[in-house]
This record gives sequence, structure tokens and C-alpha cells, in this order.
Amino acid sequence: MEEVPKTTCTSWTAQQAAGNFSNNSTGRERRHPGNTTTGLVTPVVIGSGTNDPNNPIPHQTFKREQDQYVPIANVIRIMKRILPAHAKISDDAKETIQECVSEYISFITSVANEKCHQEHRKTITPEDILYSMEKLGFENYIEPLTLFLNKYREQDMERNSVLAEPFTRRAVRFVQPQQPAPIAPAPTMPTVHHQNYIYPSAINNYFGQTMGGNGECSSSSGAGPTNAEFNPYAQFK
Amino acid sequence: MRQPGAYSGLLAGGISGKTGPHSLPLARIKKIMKNSNDEVKMISGEAPIVFSKACELFIEELTKRAWMMTLQAKRRTLHREDVASAVMNIDIFDFLVNLVSENSGKSEDPQPVTEA
Repeated sequence: MEEVPKTTCTSWTAQQAAGNFSNNSTGRERRHPGNTTTGLVTPVVIGSGTNDPNNPIPHQTFKREQDQYVPIANVIRIMKRILPAHAKISDDAKETIQECVSEYISFITSVANEKCHQEHRKTITPEDILYSMEKLGFENYIEPLTLFLNKYREQDMERNSVLAEPFTRRAVRFVQPQQPAPIAPAPTMPTVHHQNYIYPSAINNYFGQTMGGNGECSSSSGAGPTNAEFNPYAQFK
Repeated sequence: MRQPGAYSGLLAGGISGKTGPHSLPLARIKKIMKNSNDEVKMISGEAPIVFSKACELFIEELTKRAWMMTLQAKRRTLHREDVASAVMNIDIFDFLVNLVSENSGKSEDPQPVTEA
């Protein structure tokens, strides 16, 4: 049975009626968000009651929702690290690997989730993931992952530590309001999750020097511009 | 674009933040984890981080194996069929068998056969 080629645009009326029209069109077909991650071309009935229960449209279409995959650019970059310089990768191979990654994540997560469930826990932890990997035959990943995780946790502890100046923190996508630190090194700082760091660019400006406390600080400058607008220390200027 | 040396940055401990040198976006990984199963409720903050590394290792392994198939076929372009062959050859990639055979347009699923 020949599948519908992925690059064919299909059934826009059905999609519009279903209200599933989203703006992340890449010219590829999209998949109904409720679908499983397995199989690119699983036929989906659109309009099966999401927006208009009185008038279901029994159309079938093949969609590929990019949100269900890791970005293909990242996949390609990792592949190229492995392959020799002269190697080429076909587009369908890139997409296939991209799908395999999502399937891999789902697969491991399901097993990890089952373990949590059996042990009456609600949160999937890294340990659950490592356990699942071992169980499913990926035991050779355990060591590098454990090293990676330990290293990450060490750095996380450093960043959260009371001794670390508030200026060594970094911002991420969002910043939560927190009490501004006094100018002098504070004896205590609110312990914050590493997601809530404030980018030190404001502090840099204030003190007129780069915070070169540790290597992490200087390497953060690359991530700077997007976070420079937020200036919780403005009152200290 | 990610800065070069993101990979070595990881090993050298240059993890500067959630959007930093991780190869794969953590929010997307988290979304995929949640999509895998309706019962998945809560995910620890570190879980996507472990997955970002694990997926790197996974992509690397799958790519290496697929490339071996490409070389066997004396080609220089890695095709989907090479990925499919790699998946067929390796036990731990069994969970991908349906995925790659669907994509290749061939039905490798065993059809129920009624014995006469």
C-alpha cells in the first residue's frame, strides 16, 4: 500500500473545519496532535468532534506535527559529528532519525512511568530513566549519562550555593520576580531553582567590570542579549 | 544557532543554563515525554536533561550503524533504507521496526495467516 507522499498538501478544508490549523507550517503535512508518535503517516480522522460535534467531517489526512519531534537541525548536527566530512544524508533519512528519537523518548518514558506507577510515585526522575534504559538494553548509555548527570548536579549545587555570588547566576527563558540582592555581597540569598537565575548583565554594567568569577560567567555572554532587557537591579543604578 | 563546541562544552561542564549547550531543546523533550502516555503526570526537572544526552547517544549510535549499511552498499549518501537496515539488524532497536517499515512503504508487519 503506497503511502501519501509527505510533501503533498492535503485536505485543508478538513483541517480548517477542525480548527487544528496552526501556523507552524513547514510545507509538510501535519499530524493531529492527539496522535501517537509512532508512524509518520497514520491516517487521522479530522473534525471528529473537537470543534463541531454536530458536523463531523470524516476526512482522512496525513499530517506531521513538528512539535512532536526534536528539531531536525539539532538531529542533523549530531549526525554530522559522527559521519565523515564527505558523507551526505538524504532528507528522508534525517526525518526518519528524527522520528526514531521521538519514539525512543516515548518508549523509555513509558517504561519509566510504569515503574513510577508501580512504586506509587508521581514524578519521573532521572533514576527512573536510567533504570528503563538498562531494562531495554541501553545499558551502555548508563555510564556516560550518570557522569553527565553528576556533573550537571555538581554545577547546579555550585550555582545554588550560598557562597556563590548572585552575579554568577544566569537567566533562562523566563525570570521570576525575586527580591533584589543588596549591593554588598549578601550573607544569604533566596535559594532558587536553577531555572530562575537572573542574567548578570545589569550587574556588570553597574560594577563596570565583567564578572569573571568563574568560567561559566564569561561563557554566558553569548546568551546575553535576549535577557538583557530584564534589569531587576535597576534600582541600584 | 548553537555555539560551536557545544558538545565539548557539555563534557567540560560548561552548562550555563537551560537554553545553553544542551543539544536538544528541553521543552520539546518534555512535550514528547508527556505525549507518550496520558498517564505521565509529572516530570522531574532533570529528566529532560538526561534525555537530551541520551538522545544524542542514540542518534550517534543509530547514525553509525546506518552509515555502516551505506558503506556496505558502496554509497556516500545515507538513505532511509540504511536506517531501516540498521534497525532490523540490532535487537535493541526492535521498537523502531514498525516505524521504519511504515516509512519505507513496505509492510513488514506479519499478516495474520489462516492455516488451511
